[in-house]
Amino acid sequence: MTDALRKHGRGLVVFAAAAYALPLLLAGNRYFAFIGGIALLHVVWTAGMSLLYGYAGLMPLMFAGIAGISAYAAVGLMAAGFSFWTALPIAALFAALVGVGLGLPALRLKGFYFTLCSLVIQTVITLAFVYFVNLTNGDTGISQIAPPAWFGGPLQGVGFDLVLATLAVGAMVALVLIVEAPFGRRLVAVREDDELAEMLGIDVVRQKLAAFFVGSLFAAVGGAFYAPYVGFVSPRSFDVLLSLNIWLMVAFGGRGTIWGAVVGTVLLAPLPFLLQDYYKVKDVIYGLLIIGVIVLLPGGILGGLGGRAAAGTKSPGLRRKEAA
Amino acid sequence: MPTELVLISTLFTGLMLGVIFSLVAAGVTIIYGSIWMPNAANGQFFLLAALALWSAAVSWGLHPVVAALLVIGASVPASLLLEQVLIRRFYDVPNRNVSYFVLSLGITQILAGLFSVTYGVWSDQFQIPPLMAGITFLGPFPVSNSRLAALVTGVALLAALFALLRYHKYGRAIRAVFQNRDAASLRGVNVRAIYRLSFVLGNLVVAAGGVLYAFAYSFDLSVSWSMSITAFAIMIIGGPGSVVGAVAVGMVFGFTQAIVSAFASPTVATFSYLGAMLLILLMKPSGLFAR
Repeated sequence: MTDALRKHGRGLVVFAAAAYALPLLLAGNRYFAFIGGIALLHVVWTAGMSLLYGYAGLMPLMFAGIAGISAYAAVGLMAAGFSFWTALPIAALFAALVGVGLGLPALRLKGFYFTLCSLVIQTVITLAFVYFVNLTNGDTGISQIAPPAWFGGPLQGVGFDLVLATLAVGAMVALVLIVEAPFGRRLVAVREDDELAEMLGIDVVRQKLAAFFVGSLFAAVGGAFYAPYVGFVSPRSFDVLLSLNIWLMVAFGGRGTIWGAVVGTVLLAPLPFLLQDYYKVKDVIYGLLIIGVIVLLPGGILGGLGGRAAAGTKSPGLRRKEAA
Repeated sequence: MPTELVLISTLFTGLMLGVIFSLVAAGVTIIYGSIWMPNAANGQFFLLAALALWSAAVSWGLHPVVAALLVIGASVPASLLLEQVLIRRFYDVPNRNVSYFVLSLGITQILAGLFSVTYGVWSDQFQIPPLMAGITFLGPFPVSNSRLAALVTGVALLAALFALLRYHKYGRAIRAVFQNRDAASLRGVNVRAIYRLSFVLGNLVVAAGGVLYAFAYSFDLSVSWSMSITAFAIMIIGGPGSVVGAVAVGMVFGFTQAIVSAFASPTVATFSYLGAMLLILLMKPSGLFAR
């Protein structure tokens, strides 16, 4: 555990410094500070996606759906009188369990079918958000979500941004610890060659399920914080596009690298806000970006620059497993 | 006799939707079976065909039959161009299905964006002038001749597709590649040519589905995504690469949608697809008709 922190220590310190500095530097302009807060929230999501896509080799397009279930559950619990801090763990755990329940049949499948199935599942979750009007207020969405209570007052402004920074740092520490633990190495072994992993005595389906549960928790915690931070949730907030964007941030930064996901998030999360004036062509630009990444940068930015980093995550897991 | 009316109307709707679902899912499964491309943009291609038909028939005032043939014909050079520019780059990439999937999601985004700033501005509901005038009574149930013609054409196209895959030289080569591309290559099949042909054929069938749908129903831009998802669910349940599976499950889905929509809403029908898909995956992960 300390090994892992020492190995990525410098990165974590730099990231933490940047994460805490961001809200303070942008505090003068509420709009930019909000974009910064959204980026920090996305770091939580991309950390989960990085675990799932970068290390476990799963591409869950139902990621946003799980975040949405958690967000709606948190809002519902708060409406029922619970405080945000009680609602958060309940909603997150509930959403992660629902995600595992829905993903269970698909997780048994080899490789790519899981992605296809998760796309169908995501679409149905979005439909459910629209359909169960008395729980979700349908297409209209739920607005004016109260901010969480924090030492007697409402948590908002720079205070909330700093909480999100803490959350993002916590997510990255958790990712580092998971990836460097034997569990993370088993995941890489499964990603690289699941038949070999099976022969080495790894229960492939169980590893995938565990990874999916943990990754879903990242999604769910981010979703629960999203609701009070933005103050508005609707089925569109958590549609397949969000799943794709989060995936794109990981793929763009470099899959299988710890900091690639963060680089991808920093570059891509503010994009929708910067493109606000060009909202008509936003979809087209996103599409071109996706195609550009897949054609020009199959390994992502960090993966493309340092082939070493990608190779480094690949073989030790297998080697250690063979030694064990 | 209202019961009889409901029965025949549900049967007809189920048949009509089933034929369209079958066509699109067959197109998707042909492309996936050969080049391993899970084409998430199939719904956008489907919508593109329907919108192009609308432009040709309404804006340019062409005769509907001419417009339909023009649109389906135009899908061939369009597919060849796309194959040339993007698809063929990945033929030798390991794990190319992920690359293709992401690529097709990018194409989906681009087309969705283009549609919303072009067609989306004009109207939110598109209707094609009927293929032919008049109404036929199936028992007590009146059907417009235009919709009937769309159904008959769809069934004929499915039959032609089966005949092509079963009896024609190219169809046999496609099936050989589905089953074992190395062995097919050793037996003198030009695998890359078959890839190209499958891509064109699959998109042609999807475009035909879009054209028939536009003749049978008025449509809006949201049809694309639900068609993509439905086609994927059909392909997963039927067994990827199996055209028989795509058609059989497509018909089941059509009837499910017709029956569930008669008693509840189409959304509930979509929920039932998911339930069916998860159930099948638990019991038979390779799909019902996989070899």
